[in-house]
Amino acid sequence: MRSTLQTMQARLNASDHLKHLGRLFSETVLIEVDGDEFYLTFEKGAMVSLDAGPSRKTPSRFALRTDADALQKFWQSRPAPGFHDIFGLVKIGRGRIDGDMLLLVKNMRFFKEFMALGRVKAGADQ
Amino acid sequence: MIEPIVGRYVTIEVQGVTQRIYFEEAGQGRPILCLHTAGADTRQWRHLMNDSEVTKANRLIAFDMPWHSKSLPPEGFQTQEYLLTTETYIETVLGMVTALGLDRPVLAGCSMGGRIALQLAALHPDKFNGFIAIEASDFQPAWYDIDWFDRPDAHGGEMGAALVSANISPFAPEAERWNTLWMFMQSGPGVFRGDLSFYTRDDSLIARLGQIDTAKTPVHLIVGAYDLTCTPEDAKRTADAIPGATLSVMAEVGHFPMSEHPDGFRPFFIEALGKMPEPAA
Repeated sequence: MRSTLQTMQARLNASDHLKHLGRLFSETVLIEVDGDEFYLTFEKGAMVSLDAGPSRKTPSRFALRTDADALQKFWQSRPAPGFHDIFGLVKIGRGRIDGDMLLLVKNMRFFKEFMALGRVKAGADQ
Repeated sequence: MIEPIVGRYVTIEVQGVTQRIYFEEAGQGRPILCLHTAGADTRQWRHLMNDSEVTKANRLIAFDMPWHSKSLPPEGFQTQEYLLTTETYIETVLGMVTALGLDRPVLAGCSMGGRIALQLAALHPDKFNGFIAIEASDFQPAWYDIDWFDRPDAHGGEMGAALVSANISPFAPEAERWNTLWMFMQSGPGVFRGDLSFYTRDDSLIARLGQIDTAKTPVHLIVGAYDLTCTPEDAKRTADAIPGATLSVMAEVGHFPMSEHPDGFRPFFIEALGKMPEPAA
């Protein structure tokens, strides 16, 4: 999981388009996978740190809590219905999003496109 | 290449309010009145309107709902809150049928357009020849706060597009995914919210579904497997409540079939047209 998140960090930081989308986003987000915590800190759309938890001292503005199998399916190039979007994971009971929902909504395109950076290219998983 | 789609304007009264409405059409023969989804406009139908196989025997007509795209909001809008209601929506559709002189068209609507198509199937079946309800269900309460999409400190269109992107299939061509989202990005302030008010708060259709007489006016539902808003389960529940209604499920399509994945939707729309009666000679 950590290596995938690092790959996503590298892809984000190499993308001027995504950093532009996130230029007002300087927050820490918690990704929890099977109970393992990963704190992702963004600064003006760039991801500046990835810290493993558990931590009760790291404030995060919102959290996506899911499981590794669901993320593996989410990151297929053409995921099955429900696994194709973070809100799909919530809808099918494989994910939970909590925290400052309005902040997430205001930055939804940025965060969803960031999460999709773990996705394999079309055809690679066929 | 000049496309065959032709657009014009018509002015009608809806609940005492003058509305100048943009409509466009292509084709000839059986009239098919097409309704767009919440937060979008007639451009969702452009692929089918440019499909000569579809338009050689069908006259496809689509219009922008008041407040949407090229249909300006009514005079005085600057001090009004836009909230669509079932009554206003029904009167708008019936007003367009009359104003355009359509003789019992087939009504094809998607999402909130599908919802109102089913309302019209229950309440005004005599005005139509059949109903194609796409991504349509009896009722969908919101899991989100519709006020998110009308805030002075954020871009409602961008947020709305990011939200509805959850409903687009990964099989949708990238260009059409973004063309679909662009319509939401362009939506006027508070318009998507006002549409969602109708879509997520009015459950009056549930009690009316049993009134629909499919022996007189057929009802065919179409739903995409990637639609998180109106899931295949939602559509099936709705179809099951309408005696004689039929349902097709599209495996590789989401909530905006005609717009997000035209090639994937095309055979299902043609199948639906085949279930609609030809107009009386």
